[in-house]
Amino acid sequence: MKRRNFVAGSVALGAALAMSSGRAQAQSKPVLAGPLAPNPAEFRKAMNEFVGNATPVEAGLKLELPVLADNPGAVPVHAKVTLPITESQYCKELIVLAELNPSPLACRFRFSPATGTAEAAVRLRLSQTQTIHALARMSDGKVLIAKQTVTVAASGCGM
Amino acid sequence: MTKPPRVWVSNAKPAKGEIVRVRAQIEHSMESGLRTDPAGHLRPRNIIRKFEARLGQNLLFAWEPGISIAQNPYIEFTFAARESGDLVMVWTEEKDALLEARKAITVS
Repeated sequence: MKRRNFVAGSVALGAALAMSSGRAQAQSKPVLAGPLAPNPAEFRKAMNEFVGNATPVEAGLKLELPVLADNPGAVPVHAKVTLPITESQYCKELIVLAELNPSPLACRFRFSPATGTAEAAVRLRLSQTQTIHALARMSDGKVLIAKQTVTVAASGCGM
Repeated sequence: MTKPPRVWVSNAKPAKGEIVRVRAQIEHSMESGLRTDPAGHLRPRNIIRKFEARLGQNLLFAWEPGISIAQNPYIEFTFAARESGDLVMVWTEEKDALLEARKAITVS
């Protein structure tokens, strides 16, 4: 084989490989079905129930979680209300929502005036790459919101 | 549910008003009710559905986990130390089996 032919052939082969792998990736884009399918109706319901008539404010609530979840079975999530907490103005309730999990309402925290802070950390299991939302309701009715996208490595947790 | 909870407190003798951090973990499968056994039957849901931390009469912190919480549930929270007493933490399972942990907090 002439060198020129060989080079041209290998370029064509490389392009073909790249195309086929691209197609394979597009096909393996996870659309979860069965018990792990996302539940958008319940996500909206939980969100609307918590927010009510208030207008969520995107400040005063800090949500911390990794950008890449290397272990989808235990993703550390940390939420903290950074507004000053007093006896008269405190955080009543805080929820964490995993948008595309089969059960989007991951958990709910309740605080009291005796707590003096509003901070909690848990570990979630995530079924796929998605956005995590945190919402906090203050005693004066103000609703705070924070969100972050997390990329889930591997094939999800199996819940 | 035989092993006792693992509890860590940042400072058991805090100054008045100091923020105390608590980390606690128990062993629990947090069975979501979505998994099947090898024969194809759904395993019944069995999760911790409530956790409460009290100091004296005051409820400091309550947590209602859902099925998205990882197994061996880990919880971390903070509170402002205002009075001395026993920090009592109670885990409630689906079937109401209880697990309890106590830590003495002495405010100086």
